[in-house]
Order: sequence, then structure tokens, then C-alpha cells
Amino acid sequence: MFQEFVQQIVNGLVLGSTYALIALGLTMIYGILGIVNWAHSELYMLGAFVGVFLVVHLKLPFLLGLVLAMLVMALFGMAMDLLVFRPLRSAPEMNMIIGTLGISIFLVQAAVIVFSPNPVRFPTEFSDAYLSFMGISITLQRLMVFCVTLVLIALLNYIIKYTTVGKAMRACEQNRDAAKLMGIDINRISLITCAIGAALAAAAGTLVGPIFLVSPQMGLAAISKVFAVVILGGMGNVPGAIWAAFILGLAESLTAGFISSYYKDVVTFCILITVLIIKPAGLFGRSQIEKV
Amino acid sequence: MKQWMNLKTLVIIVAILFAVAFPQMGFKMYYVHIGVLSLLHILLALGLNLVAGYAGQLSLAQAAFFGIGAYVSALLMLNLKWSFWLAAPLGALAAGLVAVGIGLPTLRLKGPYFVISTMGFGEIVRLVFLNWESVTRGPNGLPGIPAPDPISLGFVTLTFESRVENYYLILTVLLVVLVLYYNLVHSRIGRALRAIRNDYIATQVMGIHVAFYRILAFGVGAALSGLTGALYAGYIRFISPDTFTIGESINILIMMVIGGMGTISGPIIGAIFITYLLETMRVFAEYRLVIYGLLMFLVILYMPHGIAGMLKKLSLRVRAGKKEA
Repeated sequence: MFQEFVQQIVNGLVLGSTYALIALGLTMIYGILGIVNWAHSELYMLGAFVGVFLVVHLKLPFLLGLVLAMLVMALFGMAMDLLVFRPLRSAPEMNMIIGTLGISIFLVQAAVIVFSPNPVRFPTEFSDAYLSFMGISITLQRLMVFCVTLVLIALLNYIIKYTTVGKAMRACEQNRDAAKLMGIDINRISLITCAIGAALAAAAGTLVGPIFLVSPQMGLAAISKVFAVVILGGMGNVPGAIWAAFILGLAESLTAGFISSYYKDVVTFCILITVLIIKPAGLFGRSQIEKV
Repeated sequence: MKQWMNLKTLVIIVAILFAVAFPQMGFKMYYVHIGVLSLLHILLALGLNLVAGYAGQLSLAQAAFFGIGAYVSALLMLNLKWSFWLAAPLGALAAGLVAVGIGLPTLRLKGPYFVISTMGFGEIVRLVFLNWESVTRGPNGLPGIPAPDPISLGFVTLTFESRVENYYLILTVLLVVLVLYYNLVHSRIGRALRAIRNDYIATQVMGIHVAFYRILAFGVGAALSGLTGALYAGYIRFISPDTFTIGESINILIMMVIGGMGTISGPIIGAIFITYLLETMRVFAEYRLVIYGLLMFLVILYMPHGIAGMLKKLSLRVRAGKKEA
């Protein structure tokens, strides 16, 4: 019972890390660019495929592959900003959602054609290494997912809080027009935001790809959870998204372990809908009054 | 203006005549089947259009309401031996009521909050169909749903066994729905909905109850999808959870967007266009979706009112050109 419990906690932390890494980019892109990016989890999926290519086919060490996959997807994120977000920036919110949903369908089906719809295995040098104590064994890969996530979150926190770019990002989030008047290059900031967001999603894909399988549908499976995380954390709220990711990850894996795996998705959405009814701005968001 | 109205009336009359004559034109039965599917998709796209196109709230739960209508009416017919003519309205009613129940808490939410709630709800409904095996028979689905009962008109008895008969049944329903839909959209309610879509704060200030109208649109749209579900069950005679997925909701969305949101002709054009392509291009299934995704992005970016909006602009330009000459 105790072992089972710890096992599920570990699973929950892995799941929470994935959600956190994807949700961070999504919530930043919403907060800073004002774009609801329905295609964000496709960056996670593509990141995993890039990781497979680098680590399995080119036989690079896993950590080097991880960094390179993040760089490749950062470039992809910039391209997405130029080709998709910039034209959509002034569109009504619903058109943004429909537009990026179209891009999501496009990317998934393109991945099906290029990589085949079948799931791909992603073995790494950490997959078969176990760490065990007190009868509990954890693969090194799972442990690494959690540790790398913490490092990346710390890094992001440093960038946002202590660098000039981070200051400019926070300024854009608070008031885009005022930031522009202060001489901040909005286009540059949005490029950087998209690059960071895409790199974090790619990190998630490459980290958990070895634990689950890599397939073109993995993004679709994640997107509704990730949106739930972003909403629970309060749209645009970075620390909120991190807490919400781990809460949902743990709730989901504990439900799967102790109640029924059929209902793990139902639990996520029940939490989401309950929170939305009681506290519509999310668990960690402040309710905003829209000014005209 | 009068000339424009005449042109419009002419197009409508030709379209109705074509729709009525279509099964008699000697096409293969397969094309009649595509015709029926097109009619069903038109009804679904019209249902979504009321919520998204007019009220400005994107719902990804339309396939779930479609499924609720289909399951409720099919179960009433199979287990309680009710007539289709009683079960179908109840299916629609059930879908509408569920939508109102979901809408009460969620329609106060805007943009992504509402989309994700409807997406979650759609997924929950599908899981219920799949896992509540004692009632829905789970993944096996419900076979042997009876066709709508024959109606006796005194001199002739109408049956609804064959494809052509079902085609006419659904076409009749569609025409009735279109008349009601047109009146709804051009009434006080339709104006309120468009006002909410364009600026909900201003609308609220004008004293219009935003939440009430949004829930109304959501409920009516869902009831329409539920009715379509009952018609679908009566036509295909077999339903399973596979039909009522998020993928189907997205199909409906693509039809509405490409045809033209916020218009009546848009969902009709989009549904016929996409259904035809869906059925005839099965060989290119993979490439088809790549193209649809890209098309959806480009259409929403460059022609947000879809094919219908483009046709309207074109005809206005032609007329303006005539006037100048």
C-alpha cells in the first residue's frame, strides 16, 4: 500500500512536470502576446520527435540531445510567431482559437505523414537504470524528468526576474501599449517569448518521450489537460501554472492508482469545472474587471 | 436592393428545387447516402453556428449533444418501444436541457475558458457512452434501432425505411428548421446575440441579459444537434461512441468556418462541400486533414466570413460595378 502510494506520487510528479513545462509556454504566450495558442502541445509532440531523431538515430548523449531539441524547437517557435501569431494578433479571440486549432490539426497530420501514425519507442541510456530503496524502484529517467523540470523552472524564474529581457516581458504583460511607448520592441519580445515557450514544450516532449511512447497524437492527448492547468493557475500567471500542474498531475495519478484509470480524465475536468464555478479566475488568479 | 432580393430569392428557389429533385436524378444510391449525410451535417453546423457564429462562443461539445440526442431517442425506442415521433423530440429536449445545465456555470466564462469546458464536457459524455455498459452497451454500440414509424395521410402511407425516404424526411426537417432559424436570427433574440458577440460589455450596459441569451443560444443549438442525433439514429439504425468524438466536433467546426460563420448560407455551403470531400476523398484521408487544418487557419485569417461572406462581397461588387457603368 505504502509502496503503491509512493509509486503514484512519483508518477504524479512526472506528469505534473510535463504539464508544468508545456503550460508555462502557453501561459506566457497568453500573458505577453495575448494569443490563445491551441497548437502549443504540438510543440511538445514535435519536440519529442526531434529528441528521438537526435538521441536514437544520431546516437547523441541524452542530455545533449535534450538541449539541441530545445534549440531546434526554439527556432520553430520563432517561425510560428512570425507566420501564425503575428497575423492573428489583432483578430477576435474566437478567431485566434479557431486559427491555432487549424494549425494544430495541420501539424498533427503533417507529423502522421512524415513520422507514421504508429507510436515510436524512445530508449535512452537512463531508461534501464533503476534507483531503489525501501522496496521502491524508480527509473532514473523519471527522476530526471522532475530534476530537469526544477532546473528549467529556476532558469526561467531567473530570466523573468533578473534580466533586462525579463523586465521587458513583464512590462509587456502588464500593459502592451505603455511598454511600446517606453521603447520596448514588442516584436522582439514576442519572438523571445515564443522561443522560450517552444523550448520548454520541447523539453517536456524529450523528457517524457522515453517514459511513454512518442506519437503524433501525444499533443492532442495533453492539450486539454494543459489548458486546464493554465486556467486553474489563472491565465497568464506563471507561478500559478506551476502549482496547478503539480496539483493536477498528482490528482490524476492518485485517481488512476486508487480509484480507476477510466476516470482519471473525468477527475481533471470535474476539478476544473468546480474551480471555474467557485473561482472563475483560477486558483491563483486575481479576478480582473474589464475596463472599457 | 430589390434586384438583390430577387437574385437571393431565385438562388433559394433553385437550391430547394435541386435538393428536392436530387434523389430522382438517377445518381447511385451511394450519392443519395452522401446527400443524407450532408443534410445531417448542415443541421449540426447550423447548431454550432448559433452558439459560435451568432453568440460568439466556440463550443467543442456539439458532437456530445449530437450523441445525447441519438442515445436518448434510440434507448427510448429500443427499451420502452416508444415511437420515433415521440422519442426524437425527447432526444432533442434532453440535449437542450443538458446544455442549459452545463451552460449555467460555464457560459459566464469567456473565450478559452468556455472552449476548454465544452471540450472537457464532450470528453466526459463520450466516456459515459463508452463505460456505462449496462445501458449503452459500451463500445459495442446499440444495433437494431427501428426506422421512424410510417405515417398514414389517409390516401397514402409514408414509410421511412429506404435512403430516399429518409432523405425526404430529413430535408423536410431541415427546411422547417431553416424557416425557424431565419426568424430567430432576424428577431430580437438574434440581434441581442450579435450585439453580445460584437461587444458584450456595451450590450450589458444596454440592459440586455448577456448570460440569458448565451444560454438560450447554447440550449437551442444543442437541441438542434440532439434532434439531428435522433434523425441519424433513425437513418443509420446503429450508434456507437465512435461517432460522437471531439474529432466530429472539429469536423462540424471546419464546416462552419469554411462555409462562413454568422451566416445562414455558410453552414449549408460548408457542410455540403466538406461532406462531399470527406466521403469521396477517403483515399487521401491523411492529406485531406493537413489541407483542412491549413485551410481553417487561412480562411479565419483572410476571409473570416468564409465562402458565404466571399460570395456576398463578390455579388455586391458586381452590382456596384453595374451601377457605375
